[in-house]
Amino acid sequence: MKSTRQSGSSTVWSLLLFATLALFAATLYAIFVVAPVEQQMGIVQKIFYFHVPSAYAMYIGFGVSALGSAVYLLKRDPKWDALGVAGAEVGALFCLIVLLTGPLWARKAWGVWWTWDPRLTTTLLAGMIFAAYLSLRSMGNAGEVEKRFAAGLALFGLVDLPLIHYSVQRWRGVHPTVITGKGGGLESEMYWALGLSFVAFTGLAALLIWARASVERQREEATRLRFELMHR
Amino acid sequence: MRALIAALVLGCTMLITPLALADAPPEPDTAASETEKDAAEERATQFVGVEGPEAESISGGALLLVAYAVVWVLLFLFLMRVRGLQRQTAEELERLSAEIQAPKDR
Repeated sequence: MKSTRQSGSSTVWSLLLFATLALFAATLYAIFVVAPVEQQMGIVQKIFYFHVPSAYAMYIGFGVSALGSAVYLLKRDPKWDALGVAGAEVGALFCLIVLLTGPLWARKAWGVWWTWDPRLTTTLLAGMIFAAYLSLRSMGNAGEVEKRFAAGLALFGLVDLPLIHYSVQRWRGVHPTVITGKGGGLESEMYWALGLSFVAFTGLAALLIWARASVERQREEATRLRFELMHR
Repeated sequence: MRALIAALVLGCTMLITPLALADAPPEPDTAASETEKDAAEERATQFVGVEGPEAESISGGALLLVAYAVVWVLLFLFLMRVRGLQRQTAEELERLSAEIQAPKDR
């Protein structure tokens, strides 16, 4: 029964992997062939097609981490803790991508690598909160207390996510807001490229969280076996 | 007396000559001399720092290339890390399972 389930999840994994790879190929084509070069900024604007979906994948990662942590605090089931760790790592990866690709665009567009704009600052804050979470979890084999404290930290980090999103509307800043409900911020080809990139990054984030959570569950199992060996 | 007169003449000459030279108006002779003068004026005679976006021009293509390289390199490193963890955990699980099984087999 267990092996049938494993085989089924392996098939889903492979399908998701191939779909994501195909989507990435289509996204690169849309970005560099279909989408036009932006009038004011030139070719450097194409960073936007990976930068924004990376920020979205960061939200997914940190959101999953907070969800896993919340359920872990309620149920104390290690599989939710594994999901929390996986989400935090994947979110931190995409947060790093956002914080590195953003300044490369900003240097050309604003003339500076970094400015203490509300969106940039709140993104950095989220990265630091989840970096603290990962530091706490990487200190040897985390015990129950460390796990619960880290889970609380992930929930605290969740509060920062809406702040990142709404910071450009609430506070004055220089960060562009081309994707709004009003529309008209992008040309139709640009929308296509961005839309494809969003789907590709969603698939990638799901794959990475899945893979990392699976490894974390194995690590939990190894810890359990070590404990069993010590106490018999 | 002669020495005093000579000293006065020398003093006047030294005082008047630079003034006379300074007052002498430039001669707008030919176009060639004008061009030569312009070229001389165009040469940088001082360095002034510029602030803001005009400070220097960085190629947008290079920045784009670096940004995409950053994305792929970080993804690759993350995948390598997950792969390493997976291998290490699988080996440990195998070892622990063998250790647990060992007394039962005896």
